[in-house]
Amino acid sequence: METQNNQLVTVEGAQRYICTAIMAAEIPLAESITTSDSFRTESPMSSPWSPWQPDESQPWDLRRVVHLYRRAGFAGTWEELQRDLDEGVEASVDRFLNGEVAAQPWDRFEATAKVLSDSAVASGDAARLQAWWMFRMLRTADPLVERLTLMWHNHFATSVEKVTNLLFMRHQNDLLRRHAPGAFGELLHAVLKHPAMLVWLDADSNRRGRPNENLARELMELFTLGEGHYSEDDVREAAKCLTGWTTDRAGKFTIDQDQHEPGPKNVLGEDLESGDDLLALLLRSPPTANRLVWRLCQTFLGENVAGDTERGELAQILSGNDFHIGKTVEVILRSRIFFSAANIGTRVSSPAEFVVATVRRLGLQQNSPSTLILADTLAQMDQELFAPPNVFGWDEGRAWINSRTLVARANFIHALCHGQCHVPPVVLDPRVLVAEAEETTVSAAVLRQRLELLISGESAAASSNQQTTTSATHITQPQAVELAIELLSAPAAQLN
Amino acid sequence: MRASLSRRRFLQAASLVGLAPTIPTFLAKTSWAAPTEKEQPILVVVQLDGGNDGLNTVVPFADEGYAKHRQQLQLPTANLHKLDDSIGLHQQMQGLSQLWQDGNLAIVNGVSYPNPSQSHDVSMSVWQTGRPDSRDVLDYGWLGRSLDQLKEGPGSDAVFTEQRAKPLALTGRKCITTSLTDAKDMQLHAQLQASTGQDSDGDLQQFLSRSTLDAYATSEQLQGLALSEDSDVPYPETEFSQRLKLISSLIKSGWQSRVYYAVQGGYDTHAGQLFTHARLLRRLSDALLAFQKDLQATGLADRVVTMCFSEFGRRVAENGSAGTDHGTAGPVFVFGSKVQGGLYGDIPSLLELENGNLKTAVDFRQIYATLLERWLEVNSENVLGGPHSAMEFLQA
Repeated sequence: METQNNQLVTVEGAQRYICTAIMAAEIPLAESITTSDSFRTESPMSSPWSPWQPDESQPWDLRRVVHLYRRAGFAGTWEELQRDLDEGVEASVDRFLNGEVAAQPWDRFEATAKVLSDSAVASGDAARLQAWWMFRMLRTADPLVERLTLMWHNHFATSVEKVTNLLFMRHQNDLLRRHAPGAFGELLHAVLKHPAMLVWLDADSNRRGRPNENLARELMELFTLGEGHYSEDDVREAAKCLTGWTTDRAGKFTIDQDQHEPGPKNVLGEDLESGDDLLALLLRSPPTANRLVWRLCQTFLGENVAGDTERGELAQILSGNDFHIGKTVEVILRSRIFFSAANIGTRVSSPAEFVVATVRRLGLQQNSPSTLILADTLAQMDQELFAPPNVFGWDEGRAWINSRTLVARANFIHALCHGQCHVPPVVLDPRVLVAEAEETTVSAAVLRQRLELLISGESAAASSNQQTTTSATHITQPQAVELAIELLSAPAAQLN
Repeated sequence: MRASLSRRRFLQAASLVGLAPTIPTFLAKTSWAAPTEKEQPILVVVQLDGGNDGLNTVVPFADEGYAKHRQQLQLPTANLHKLDDSIGLHQQMQGLSQLWQDGNLAIVNGVSYPNPSQSHDVSMSVWQTGRPDSRDVLDYGWLGRSLDQLKEGPGSDAVFTEQRAKPLALTGRKCITTSLTDAKDMQLHAQLQASTGQDSDGDLQQFLSRSTLDAYATSEQLQGLALSEDSDVPYPETEFSQRLKLISSLIKSGWQSRVYYAVQGGYDTHAGQLFTHARLLRRLSDALLAFQKDLQATGLADRVVTMCFSEFGRRVAENGSAGTDHGTAGPVFVFGSKVQGGLYGDIPSLLELENGNLKTAVDFRQIYATLLERWLEVNSENVLGGPHSAMEFLQA
């Protein structure tokens, strides 16, 4: 009883918080709320973005715990899932927001990560930098920030292929992580003025009297407004605002005033002078909020879950919170729309999400496979970290799926379950997922049920109690490996 | 066939037999039978990513605007492969120049569409959908819609040879694209049965189930083909060249796809363009020549036409960083032994520009209409949403 009471209190607390976040957006909730079928208005708080509360028809069950872990992180271990099932949705979302997800936190994590990234940069080997990021995703207690860092890596897609400097790439990645849950304006300034981006989009060759439009165009088309919200003249004028932006000998951002085009530049109908004027204008232009909402929905919602109305409302929430990404993500993760049935299992996992989730489902995040091998596997599934294909980044969603990547995904599961992603190779026994002691007999039905629950929170076997009686049949280690391969490579395991 | 297997290939094949004896056999028995031997025409599309600088590819050296707008980037006339007294190919395009001399290369100049966009994304999707009239994102591509019309049975309709998402061009309602960069990509190590999905599964689950079924069936089919890694014609070692070699070996093996799609990236040359562009064009041109020679040597040249395009050309005047910004019209290459070589369209005047950009001489949909009507034998009006007159580089 006591736990329930506590839970109730915290739920109310959260509601107050979200109310503040939504009110800050100054939305007349009762009027603006959508009347789409799935979120019909009943009270002022029944916006799709208002906090979800479990009830009898939509309980906080394992399916929703798994959903939260797959969507906001990289899947949960059995221990994490059971803990959060007990503690309730409020506490569970809190863990994601506070970076306290890991059941067994590791106080040497940041120090170890630093050693890995330092040595990767020193080696000059991009594969080792990729492996460092895989390590972070596997071992972090804050998977939400890694998910957001992946999102920004795609939004501000920058490739080592052109930048070539590993130190720049690592710094940019740290910068994305540091600003990931913060104010978008700060992130935008930091990314734009970072040498990785300045090199990537030829800022240095954008000079007085000789503009180079590359940075200005992608800033407007990809990072802020989106295509269709500016003219070719705007691109030319915006490029002039950014003339002189460069790096000094130490690689720090500076403006070479000799190369800066003097005089007013007319962008979107306003007279501007500097690059900072341009960023300020873009940050207050309404299309920017819409583009960021599109990106957030791509990351946290399934296919066709949010329509124009819901997106419009989220754009108001984002603007009302001064483009604070963390606050907006909190609204999303607590929302009714996030926990709605339409949002569960309706998004294709990216290769990074799929690979890290699989390792965690098998409980291998600590005695982990080689992160070098995992990073290489990702590349075979088309997500080569630090090397997106072009300025547009990865398309996400169904675009991840084709004959080649599906074979790569299946082959990864096969190699992982056969211990071949470990260096040196090991023999893995999936039966340990359910067996408490080594000598315990494990039946195929019990192992199947556990794997299905880890993957989707649901199991066809779970509904019947028959399995206890048939569980006498012992499953061998090779059979257990085959079963794990079958379930972990099935379509259901590739969704999140 | 077995005799031609290299030792390495044999070992791979042997290990596969050991690992995967039970790939969905019901598929092989029913719909995914061995490829047919029908000699159907094949289209190979090469996409140059990033916006190729057409003016430094097919150079209008006699236009006085060329020297005016291109100073640092001006190519010396003496080194060009002259096509006539006013136009020449970049000096690094020895390979294409040879195809030209053989009479198998059509160069269509000044190709774009009304009110061209200078956004990579928008312009590429215009070229890929074949529908510049609609700026809304369309679900299907021009080749996808064509392959839907041609589809006779299950099986792979198109092959995409890049390590990235399938292009919109190949997306259709029912046609199937196989993605691979190497035959090894499709070797399935696990013993997996693709389930056909449950009726109750959502749209996305069914999409995944169907795609998995296609992938595993394609994997099985490819194993049966024993692709030859050897070719009598040497290919350069570049990645792009190896993709064309893969396409040629698939065609030689009897793979049934009608369309093959390859990409060469790197053409977004905003700065320091001269050397980068020369290297790209050399790699492109050498690879295309090797591919065509290979097809000729194996008697397949009559079945294949190749088209090479980019999403836009670049700004006529160079920028201040010895590069070029995004522009509009550019050249398209079409070649094959059935192609009537020659110059088509016009390089628009470099002295009469629109906002610093070239005017359009030829609408790209005319090229598509020609390839569809006169090569793939598809009704182009349905695909392109209206009539476009065919060009003469292919005979009716």
